[in-house]
Order: sequence, then C-alpha cells, then structure tokens
Amino acid sequence: MTLTKPAAPDLLETPEWRIEGRDKVTGAARYAADIARPGMLHAAFVGSPYPHARVVSVDAEAARTMPGVRAVLAGADVRPARFGRRLQDWPVLAWDRVRFIGDRVAVVAADSLEAAEAAAAAVAVEYDELPAVFDPEAALAADAPMLHPDAAEYTYFGGTRPPRGHPNVQGHVIHEHGDVAVGFENAAAVFEHEFSVPRVHQAYIEPRASLVWIEGETVHVVTTNKAPFALREQMAVTIGVPAARIVVDTPHVGGDFGGKGLSLDEFALYFLARATGRPVRSVLRYADELQISNTRHAARIRLRTGVDRDGRITAHQARVVFDGGAYAAGKPVAGLLPGGPTLTLAGYHVPAARVEAVAVYTNTLPAGHARAPSQPQLTFAAESHLDLIARAMQIDPLELRERNAIRAGETDVDGAVWHDSLAPRVLATLRAASPSGGMAARDNGRGLAFSARHVGRGKTSLTLTLAADGSIEVLTGVADQGGGAHTMIQRVVARELGIDAARVRVRQGDTGHANVDPGVGGSRVTPVAGNAALDGARKLKARIAELGKTLDQAARIAAPLVVTGEGEQNEHLYGVYAYSIEVSVDRETGSFRVVDAVLVADVGTVINPVAVRGQLEGGFVFGLGQAVMEELHIEDGRVTTTNLADYKIPTIADAPPLRLVLITDAPGPGPFGAKSAGELANPAVGAAIANAIDAAVGVRVMSLPITAEKIRSLLRTKELRAADPE
Amino acid sequence: MRADRRLIDVLRDDLGSTGTKEGCSIGVCGACSVLVDGELLSACLLPAVFADGSVVVTVEGLAQGDELSPLQVAFIREGGFQCGICTPGQLIAATALLAEHRRPSDAEIREWMMGNLCRCTGYHGITRAIKAAAA
Ligand code: FES
Ligand code: FES
Repeated sequence: MTLTKPAAPDLLETPEWRIEGRDKVTGAARYAADIARPGMLHAAFVGSPYPHARVVSVDAEAARTMPGVRAVLAGADVRPARFGRRLQDWPVLAWDRVRFIGDRVAVVAADSLEAAEAAAAAVAVEYDELPAVFDPEAALAADAPMLHPDAAEYTYFGGTRPPRGHPNVQGHVIHEHGDVAVGFENAAAVFEHEFSVPRVHQAYIEPRASLVWIEGETVHVVTTNKAPFALREQMAVTIGVPAARIVVDTPHVGGDFGGKGLSLDEFALYFLARATGRPVRSVLRYADELQISNTRHAARIRLRTGVDRDGRITAHQARVVFDGGAYAAGKPVAGLLPGGPTLTLAGYHVPAARVEAVAVYTNTLPAGHARAPSQPQLTFAAESHLDLIARAMQIDPLELRERNAIRAGETDVDGAVWHDSLAPRVLATLRAASPSGGMAARDNGRGLAFSARHVGRGKTSLTLTLAADGSIEVLTGVADQGGGAHTMIQRVVARELGIDAARVRVRQGDTGHANVDPGVGGSRVTPVAGNAALDGARKLKARIAELGKTLDQAARIAAPLVVTGEGEQNEHLYGVYAYSIEVSVDRETGSFRVVDAVLVADVGTVINPVAVRGQLEGGFVFGLGQAVMEELHIEDGRVTTTNLADYKIPTIADAPPLRLVLITDAPGPGPFGAKSAGELANPAVGAAIANAIDAAVGVRVMSLPITAEKIRSLLRTKELRAADPE
Repeated sequence: MRADRRLIDVLRDDLGSTGTKEGCSIGVCGACSVLVDGELLSACLLPAVFADGSVVVTVEGLAQGDELSPLQVAFIREGGFQCGICTPGQLIAATALLAEHRRPSDAEIREWMMGNLCRCTGYHGITRAIKAAAA
C-alpha cells in the first residue's frame, strides 16, 4: 500500500476572502465623497431650463458678492474647453448654446455647499430658445434643428472621426457579409419585427463625486471615475495641462455598471481650483445623476430575418437607431456608437447579414455606456424575434435556437468565424436544467433567451515586489468598483507561486505611481489584468529559479526583487449563456411574477467563486430591473423620474430565486483559463420574460419595460378580438 | 446645532465618520441607515437635533475592536457586498433585524431589508449572509 499525502486543495476552489472586505464592512473603505482637504470649497452648477437655446448673457454679479462665495465662472471663462472620452463635444460650461435641460452654463465655488447653491440660484442667465428635437428619427430629417454646428472644432482621440451622412449623426456603421439578397430569395419565410427599448440608468447607489486641487505644478484629482488613466488623458486635452502634471486617484467606486467612465465635474473643478487656489469638491445630487449623467441609449430596432423550412437562418437584415442625447462624450469606442452595435443575433450562425446602426444627437440628456452596451437592447429584440419566428413556424423555441446556434467554423452576425463554440453545449445544458414534462400551471409560461458576450480585450501591466519577509506586493492601476479585481490579482499570483493568498498584498496606485491601465470595463479585468498578474508571478518564479533558491531564501538575500507583469488579450472570443425563466401571470391585472429562473453560463476557469456567483446573481437582478420596471421618463426633453422613488430599481422583495449552472471546463484566454462574467447575466433577461409571458397568456410585449399595464392592455385587446372577430 | 442640519452631515462632515453613506438623499435607498437608540432610521432625513443626547450606532460601531461581528464576517464570506457602498446601511439594517428576530425567515428578511437598495449583488448574497449570521 502506498500512502500519499493528500494534495493541498487548489486555491481556486476555496472561496475567496475579499482583500477589501474588512474595510467595506467596517466603514473604513474610502470613496471619493469621503475625502476632504483642508480649506476645501464646495461647487454648485447652474443648469439650463431649456432643451435647446442660445446663451445670450450670464450675469454673475449678484452671485459673486454673496457670503462665502469664492468664485463664479461662466462659459466665457473656460471657452473653448470641452470634454469627452473619445469625442470632446461637451462644453465644460456652455458659452453659446445649451443642448439639453440641465446643460451647465455656470459654476460657483463657496465655503459651504449651501452658500454655493444659493449663489448658483442667483446667477441670471438670459436664453434665446431654439427649436428642439427629441426623437432620433426626426433628428435625421433634412430640415431638423442642428445641434452641433461647430463639430469640426471638436477633438477626436485616435485618428479622424468617421464620416457622417447627417450633422445630427454621432456615429454610423453598416456591417455586411454574405449575399443577403440571395439569402432572402432562398428563404422559405421572411419575418420582420420592430422593438423598442427606453432610456435606463445605471443607478449605482453612489453618485459621482470629485475633488480637485493644485499643488505647485501638479493638478490632483480624486474621482469616482473607474478609468483614472483615461481620465488623465482626456483632462490633459480639456484643460490644456500636460498629462504628466495631472495625478488621478480613484478610491473605491460605489458602483459603476459602465456609467462612471465619463467624468462630468472634474474639468470645471480644475478651473475653480485655479481661480481660487483652493481644493474644490463636488458631489452630484442623485437628482442630477438621473437628469444629466450618461444613461443607456434608448433604441428602436427593426429586424428582418429569412429562414428555411427548418427554421435555419438564411439571411438577416437590421436597422438600429440609438438615441445618443445631446453629446457623444460618454462613448469610448471609435465609431461613437455604444459598443457592439451590430451584434443583433449574437451567438448564431448567420450566413448573410446587413446590419446598420446609427446613434443620433437629440436635445435630451446624453447617453453613454452601461453594463454590456447595446446588448440588452439588441438581445431583447433578437431573442423576441426568434421566438416569434419559432411560434410562426411551429418549431419548439429551444429547438430553433439549437438549429441556429453557431458551431466551430461558422460565421456569426458580424461576419466573424468562430474557431470554437460552446453555444450547442450551453443550450443542451439548458435543456437538461429546465423542468420538462408535466403540465405548467394555468397562466404560467416558460421563456428562454440565449446570447453571447465577448471576453474582454486590452492590455495592462503591473509591478510585483518580493519583500525581505517573503511577502509580495502587487502595485496596480486597476480601480476597485466592486468586481473583486484586487482579490483576483492576489489569488492568481498566490496560486502561481504556490503560497498563501494572505502573503500577497495588492495596492492600487494613482496615475502618478501605478503603470498605465485602460480601466475597469468591457469585461476586461480578469482576462487582461489577470494575465498580467500571472506573467508577473512567472517572472518572479524565473528570477528565483535563476538564483537557485526557494522563495523565502530569495526574499532574504535578494529583496526587494521587482518584476513587471504584462497582460494582453486581443482575441475575439465569446462567452455564451442562456436563460430559461418561468413566469406566472395574473390575467386581471397583467402583473406577473418570476417563479423559476435558470442561467447557464460559460465562464471558463473561476478565480473568485464568490465574486463570479455575485456577478451573475447581481447581473440577473440588474437585468430584471431594466427589463420589467425601469424607464427614465423624458417629456419634451425633461426627465420626470428625478429620484430613486420615481425611478424604481429592484429591492430585495423583487429579487427572484436563480439557479446557476456554470460551465467552467472550457478554458478561456485569461489566467488558468479564465473568461469574463460581469456582462453575461443582464442582457437577456428582457427577452426571456417577454417570451415567457407569450407562452403563458399568448400576448407579445414588443417594448421594454415589460409592465403589468402593457400586458393587461394586450390581454384586453385580445379578448375583444376573440369576442368580436370582425 | 442648526435646526436644518441633517444627522448625516453631522456624522460625515463634522465628526469625519464617513462610514455612513449618502445615496438618494430622500429616504429611499437606505445607504445612510443608522440606529438611534436602537431604532433604524435614515440619517439623510433626520434633523441632527433629534438625535441629540441619543446613542447613535453607525457601521463603525459594529465590530468589537478588531473583532468583526458575525454579520460582518458573513457579508464577506457569502458575497454580501461588491462595491460596498450600500454595505454600511445593509449591515446596520440587518443588525437591527437580528436584534428583533433571532432566526428571521425569508419573508421576514425581505420585509425588513426592503428599504436598503443594492445594485450590485441582486440581494442573493445579502440574504445568504443574514441567514449564515443567524444560524
Ligand atoms: S441617502 Fe438616506 S435613504 Fe438614501
Ligand atoms: S454592494 Fe454595491 S450597491 Fe450594494
């Protein structure tokens, strides 16, 4: 008999203990609004009451002489400063024209917030109202009011701005592959549907906050912006100070969901700090978060798909119109559209497609990025569309998806060939996980939705230092917005070196200390920063091996041992996922309840088991909120849901149970085979519920949110039709 | 003390006790939850003068020295937070819940915790943490 020592359990299989856990449960964790400086002033802004107007004059005399007021600035004082992530089209303070209600024209710095707000109310602004446009299709008319006559002056990062057919276009793209006309000719049936999705807000609980001060030549910025290095570059252009003289520090971020890559206040605060010589802080009121910050794009989505007799897609055509609001500043991607705007049938084999997407300026609050940009809109449309096709063709909805799910070697809707595909496996797993047989209760129905989301791409680096006591410090520029990035880095390093996680400390450095990092977002952190951590750990291992020592010996004789870990992930790969959701509908009121939900997700190797589960559960409820209850109401350019009582997000009582089935044995490009998880769960909830409602009571909701009112009115119409077929 | 000063301003600005957070400012999100003489209240709504002479417990007061409370440990183990901005309020509300119901049912947890919004966790981890701490 041989006795073997049981192998130590794999670190990745033990639930993680969050690095910042103690700080977050004791109140010690610092967020931007928690940080103050001696002599700090408070800022308050003056916003436009009109959706579109010329600024005739700004009279700040009365405000300037009010008690406690240190500075009042108007557009003329900052001209021509504009900000934005890719296109800098948003004036720090408008000097000639305001483009939405809340667009800022002046700012006050005062000893107290009360004094600043009182002075802001005393700034007298004269406007000359201009015709406004609120509907994106109307904004594309030849004679529509033009929002940005000075577009030629705007800074665009990274080459030249793509050409636009109409001055109110922010970004426009057409993707085409295969022979679409032939595909439609060969179709046994062609289906066409239109869907719409409203504006929704990321609704993180922490409003934006920022603090700016100038010390000698250096501009210091404390911010809720989740991408500090990108903010530094944007700010350098906006305020005309070299990036090397700007230090951006992002403490813990109280929720991001894509929204906090855009900064609003930091630029004006710089001008106030310069004018007063004092630190200046601004914390957005939640009402302003809902009225001026960058939301998800509303979208109108027209889909046309041809299928053969078996329901296999032969050709697909789509037109997606995104409402971009008054500025494109919130969009970080080159095309000035929300990311992935043409992925209408993500995860399917589409032999021929022509997909057009356009983002349009309107006189409403700007739209920007939100968790899985474009996907909740497009997935709601696509997965509803396919369900309608399945119904019309009398094919089981899961069967229809299985027939069309992309396989290795096939082409997706974006014309990309997948070298590998987990799509069939995810659907087979969903089939196995969904209850079958037995009769569903009356007015209950089950709907499914399937989709794919890219594994994050990008490049970053971080520094590992082995100290004399054998501990390792990792210095990274990746901010903590709650996803567990720092703990992920810790565990990757510890596992590779075969040491206790507790021996690895992760320190976040500001832009003056850490290596450049692209920022949290796009499902990028685990595959990119994780690979950098792994690379660093391997390099450290190699150095130790060169010395011919153990880690502890090397620490004693050679510390500090410093290496740079580099990580890059550029492959176009997808994680696929699918939901099956059962609802129970009350025919009288139209209200419904989720009674069962299963999510099958291809997440690759799991580094942080608690966090992955949290991302999927949290993404589900986030997606559910945006699917069934959330809508930023806008009337003639004015947001009317201006607080968290009117803009309702799910509470604990709205969160249904969720069964998770994770596929973890198909390795991805991240460390140890990790993929991404943060954007897998939210986009498909809307379609799964719309499909479930149809299965339950035979009505089809074509727009989000799926509310009781919409269902009730569809049921009434259906009853009337049944009673009187004429 | 000025009559219009809110408890949250006194806590955060005057006392530098920034563990208590401000989200919605209108009593809806629960980020500012505190215990005033054991009663669960929103510090963004409460005039500070009303708390004068009372014992106010904030998140900073939940651990005994270095030792975390069972609820705090459970929040870390069970994924009761992600970004952590709602966590001080969640912990205060859950502390009050466990003081009232030693073994809360799912329904009691839902009912009690409805006033504390969390955008990150989808509430599953919070429910698990409360149950683990109560077990
Ligand atoms: S800040 Fe007090 S309840 Fe939201
Ligand atoms: S942990 Fe982020 S809002 Fe609750």
